[in-house]
Amino acid sequence: MHSGLYLRRSIFNVLALCLSGVATLIGLIFLGWILYETLVQGIGAMSTTLFTRITAGAEDGGLLNAMVGSLILNFIGIAIAAPIGVLAGAWLAEFANKTRLGEAIRFLNDILLSAPSIVLGLFVYTFVVLPTTALSHKNISFTGLAGGVALALIALPVIVRTTDEMLRLVPSTLREAALSLGVPQWKLTCQILIRAARSGIITGVLLALARISGETAPLLFTAFGNNFLTVNPLKPMSSLPQIIYEYAKQPNDTLNAMAWAGAFVITMFVLLLSLLARLILSRSKVSHD
Amino acid sequence: MHTGSETAVGLDKSLPSAPLAPTKLEVRDLNFYYNGYHALKNISMDIPEKKVTAIIGPSGCGKSTLLRIFNRIYAIYPKLEAKGSIVLDGENILGPGYSMNRLRSKVGMVFQKPVPFPMTIFENVAYGIRHHEKLSKADMESRVEQALRSAALWDEVKDKLKQSALGLSGGQQQRLCIARGIALKPEVLLLDEPTSALDPIATSRIEQLVEELKGEYTIVIVTHNMQQAARVSDLTAFMYMGELIEFDRTEKIFTKPGKKQTEDYITGRFG
Amino acid sequence: MSGSSKEHIIKSYDDELTRLTGEIVRMGELSVTQLEAAIDVVERRDGQAAQRVVLNDDAIDQLEQEISHDVVRLLALRAPIASDLRNVFAALRIAADIERIGDYAANVAKRSIPLSMVAPIAATGGLDHLAELAAHEVREVLLAYRDRDAERAYQVWKNDIELDEAYTGYFRQLLTYMMEDPRNITPCTHLLFMAKNIERIGDHATNIAENVWFQVTGEPLTKQRSKGDLTSAPELPKLGDKAD
Repeated sequence: MHSGLYLRRSIFNVLALCLSGVATLIGLIFLGWILYETLVQGIGAMSTTLFTRITAGAEDGGLLNAMVGSLILNFIGIAIAAPIGVLAGAWLAEFANKTRLGEAIRFLNDILLSAPSIVLGLFVYTFVVLPTTALSHKNISFTGLAGGVALALIALPVIVRTTDEMLRLVPSTLREAALSLGVPQWKLTCQILIRAARSGIITGVLLALARISGETAPLLFTAFGNNFLTVNPLKPMSSLPQIIYEYAKQPNDTLNAMAWAGAFVITMFVLLLSLLARLILSRSKVSHD
Repeated sequence: MHTGSETAVGLDKSLPSAPLAPTKLEVRDLNFYYNGYHALKNISMDIPEKKVTAIIGPSGCGKSTLLRIFNRIYAIYPKLEAKGSIVLDGENILGPGYSMNRLRSKVGMVFQKPVPFPMTIFENVAYGIRHHEKLSKADMESRVEQALRSAALWDEVKDKLKQSALGLSGGQQQRLCIARGIALKPEVLLLDEPTSALDPIATSRIEQLVEELKGEYTIVIVTHNMQQAARVSDLTAFMYMGELIEFDRTEKIFTKPGKKQTEDYITGRFG
Repeated sequence: MSGSSKEHIIKSYDDELTRLTGEIVRMGELSVTQLEAAIDVVERRDGQAAQRVVLNDDAIDQLEQEISHDVVRLLALRAPIASDLRNVFAALRIAADIERIGDYAANVAKRSIPLSMVAPIAATGGLDHLAELAAHEVREVLLAYRDRDAERAYQVWKNDIELDEAYTGYFRQLLTYMMEDPRNITPCTHLLFMAKNIERIGDHATNIAENVWFQVTGEPLTKQRSKGDLTSAPELPKLGDKAD
């Protein structure tokens, strides 16, 4: 009987729909809960002193030095990672595509992409912090710069990967068209392909920025932290995630609330970056097909 | 016809050619290998100057490959190898010493899908010129205008030269690509299925353009559309499985092809 | 030679071309039947039957209309090229020739009516022979058309000279009848016109032969033959040379 077959199918359909709906709901509930908590707790703890005082004041202090530190660290990280990452991605996509070496490097990059961030922190500790300490003969030289380098190592594979992907999405006919005008490969890559993949690459950089702005582990042994405001990248430097990490551990409601406020600030920052990335991507989405 | 003197263009000889005009591209014993696969087999043909030569044939017959050898664009991919000779103005373009820059300023190419560069309309045309010549601003402007006029696009874009080329319609983009190609003042223009992504009106515009351009350029067009080959070309080459089966005046190919395979293909009898 | 024995990838295209060939052959057979019927009524001196033959010509005209329609349709919808184009083109021209053949047959029937009103004369018998030759020619050329047989078409084209000579002989014969007795002038004049009509049928058969030749070989069969002079007939090209 056909009707029996159809009935069974519609029952299965409804069933499958319900199951996947429930699964989605469970995921969304937790996400919503987290955001809700952050918003409620964070907004509740917001105050102007948060942006004007430093952490040295503890309960009476603010997060100014951590925010400034985070901005500087992130800036250093992206400033190092973006040019290297874009160039490396361009090399992978345009010069080493489909070669054994290129494939190997792409694979290594993927491993780096998923490497635990604390490992990268330790790496920078070993290869940047310790040698500079030896040079300066002073205390262990934790610096903002070292923190920036650690963050750069985290951002780098993200940028390499997205640049590589985005360039490979550019249709090969664009390359052929430029080459058939006699334009050399490097000019083609820098002036046409990167431009064609621009929005995707910028999005990749923004996503990398969002990723590193929440990192705590690699900063522990590198930027170390600083209760005072500094803009000197050669001094230890504080950062929001690190302060959140520390304040959240304290048996002190005021400090806990400030940790929430810090979490809220980071969340908003990441949210804005994501929105910006989406905006860029959607506004200049020009398909070549 | 039956009085003994054969006046027909003798294409049954080993070297298919038609004495219409002086030869621009002389292809001799061209063989092409792709990863060891023999993609083109002993192609020999004389492509006449300032005529439109169409290459037709089923997918995978090697017609696009042949076109892509004429400007050596295939060389950007690894493991491709062309043997034989293609003589352009007395020099073998497949020879080791032949400058790629020179070849590509002499032989322009337009692709199946319109691929404007992500720049302004003006820059799209100026970009290629800049690579080969140093021109003053005024010279560049007149050169770009000239190219756009030749491509029958000037009137449509003259007020928006500073806008992105990506905002043009498909047909306009394709004419921009033709303008970009002829801006370099090439001698040969290769068109690789230039209208396959366009609607009939845009297609007619391109075909009209081809007709206008053939007074100045040697045009080789690869097309899947047999009626298009019939409409625009002076000569038609039929290729099958990497071989040049027949090469003759278009009128002859479409009224009385000399080879059964050609007949079967163009009349839709391929099986 | 005429393209390929292979079928088109699109089956309905083949169906339409086959249909066209069928229509032409049918039309041709109808015209030969008309010619024979016309000769028959001449012999039987049957005015009413002659009327019917004249009216029957409409059927041929009707068929020609249908063929024209089919040809236009094929040209518009199938955009035929190469052998297909020659097929369709030849069909259009052959249909026009057959239509003329039908007209001439009807003319013969029409003239048989006044002829049957005067006393019968012996000269009428000669018309038979002419009509037989012409009918044979048309039949042969239709077979050549049906089978795409250029050789056979060429034979028809070449042999038209026989009909021409027979006509010339009959013409002289009629002249002697007229000189012999002025009372013969009226029937002989009618017979003369009828003979001329039949001779014209032969000419149209050669036209058809030329079209069959063109359809098959893609080349025209030249018209440099002078009437009654066999020696100037062009040499038949070796068909084998054209095939690949």
